[in-house]
Amino acid sequence: MTDEQTLAYVQAAAAALELPLSPDRAQRVATHLARTAVLAQQLQAFPLGPEDEPAEIYKPKVLSALDE
Amino acid sequence: MNSTLPPTTALARLIASGELSAVEALAACEARITATDGRVNAFTGVWHARALAEAQAIDQRRARGEALPPLAGVPYAVKNLFDVAGEVTLAGAKINTGHAPAAHDAFLVQRMQAAGAVLVGGLNMDEYAYGFTTENTHFGPCHNPHDLARTAGGSSGGCGAAVAAQQVPLALGSDTNGSIRVPSSLCGVWGLKPTFGRLSRRGSYPFVHSIDHLGPFADSVQGLALSYDALQSPDPLDPGCHAQRIEPTLPGLELGVDGLRVGVLGGHFAEHASPPAQEALALAARTLGACDEVLWPDAALGRAAAFIVSASEGGSLHLDDLRTRADDFEPLSVDRFIAGALQPAAWYVRAQRFRRVYRDRVNALFDHWDVLLAPATPVAAPLLGSEWLDINGTRHPCRPALGLLTQPVSFAGCPVVAAPLWPGGTGGLPIGVQVIAAPWREDLALRAAWTLQQAGVAHLNPPTALS
Repeated sequence: MTDEQTLAYVQAAAAALELPLSPDRAQRVATHLARTAVLAQQLQAFPLGPEDEPAEIYKPKVLSALDE
Repeated sequence: MNSTLPPTTALARLIASGELSAVEALAACEARITATDGRVNAFTGVWHARALAEAQAIDQRRARGEALPPLAGVPYAVKNLFDVAGEVTLAGAKINTGHAPAAHDAFLVQRMQAAGAVLVGGLNMDEYAYGFTTENTHFGPCHNPHDLARTAGGSSGGCGAAVAAQQVPLALGSDTNGSIRVPSSLCGVWGLKPTFGRLSRRGSYPFVHSIDHLGPFADSVQGLALSYDALQSPDPLDPGCHAQRIEPTLPGLELGVDGLRVGVLGGHFAEHASPPAQEALALAARTLGACDEVLWPDAALGRAAAFIVSASEGGSLHLDDLRTRADDFEPLSVDRFIAGALQPAAWYVRAQRFRRVYRDRVNALFDHWDVLLAPATPVAAPLLGSEWLDINGTRHPCRPALGLLTQPVSFAGCPVVAAPLWPGGTGGLPIGVQVIAAPWREDLALRAAWTLQQAGVAHLNPPTALS
């Protein structure tokens, strides 16, 4: 994303979440988000396959309770 | 009165033998806090009535001839994100001052009480634990007891400072990305971040559910092991607590590193270590007989994923308040909270998918190694207010950069002891070394830490800035 695109994303995402932002704050938030975008790009380059599931798995019922 | 208490184990023995009463120990502790905390600002609350009642209860049990539990009469304090019955759980936030007082003690506070410890107060922290410097605008910055112009680290800065200032021998804090290990490093005290899922977090204010850990700070390895053993207990009511049993570490401490394979982390960890941090690491490595350099897999990506997960979960946790009262947040972190709340879901999901692959790669390391060493922070304590940090010629934003060496390790969930070393070139300031073991092997990290302490290379130093 360019700086302009990052700022536009921040403003649109904030509107979607009904989070009011002053122009100054939107700019500062965009600066932070741009730094995180660099990290996200690095992760994007890491190969993951369809079988690579998230680390956190939902448990419908804990095993110890099932054992009782 | 400005005298200091003996170390945890000696203090517990004195109280058990009746040479010192728990009420006398509490009085000495409170006097030290009164004499020093105007300069340190570690405490946000001192709870005298509760502490006195707990201390009197210990003295009464001794008078009745009862066997006393292992921490009987030992004073301690908690980061102010722990629930304490009748007190408001601040979590470093002005917003929380409007919350109702907690109805019950946090699970770990209950464990400490069962072990006989005496809770004296709540400790300063970065707002909602999102920071590494405890520069808290609402409650004032926490000052490093070894140089009051410098940060105590964070987010559990009050914990590190209170132990370093000899206000309390023990403290409880939290660590998501380094918040126990960074203040331990910068204040020169012992800290333990246990395995993710080892200790119950029930009754503590969360920051990042997927990565939050709780753990102790102490004045010695024995104090660390004593308190950690007391804190252990499976807790099915914390969905993040995976411990099945209590595994005491104190009895095996003196086995030291005999038979253990100890390696030194290079790559990312060497690149982001200043010369004094490298010196501290080299001394620890020599002491533990570690020669071989080991590469931690994908350390930079582990840090990146931890950063993204933290920002997203932390931001979304506070979304309601960010919508309606953003100006009541900490000015130093509110924009980061908002940026996190707005992150694309694809970034977050990818980070969580990466985490599973990462975990397996990290765990494979421990087929070959029992203990791995790395500096805990790139540098010694920066001045309060620092915006930038130079690490080996590269300029980094100071506040996030303090977690460069801790984040990859906690994201994998490995247990780590932060050992306080005192290298040259820092003007007398400490830098911690991370003693890292495989998940669920806190015992090995503590054994290696004990060896560092026995050799005299890792220890607390008196806080000269307070003398």
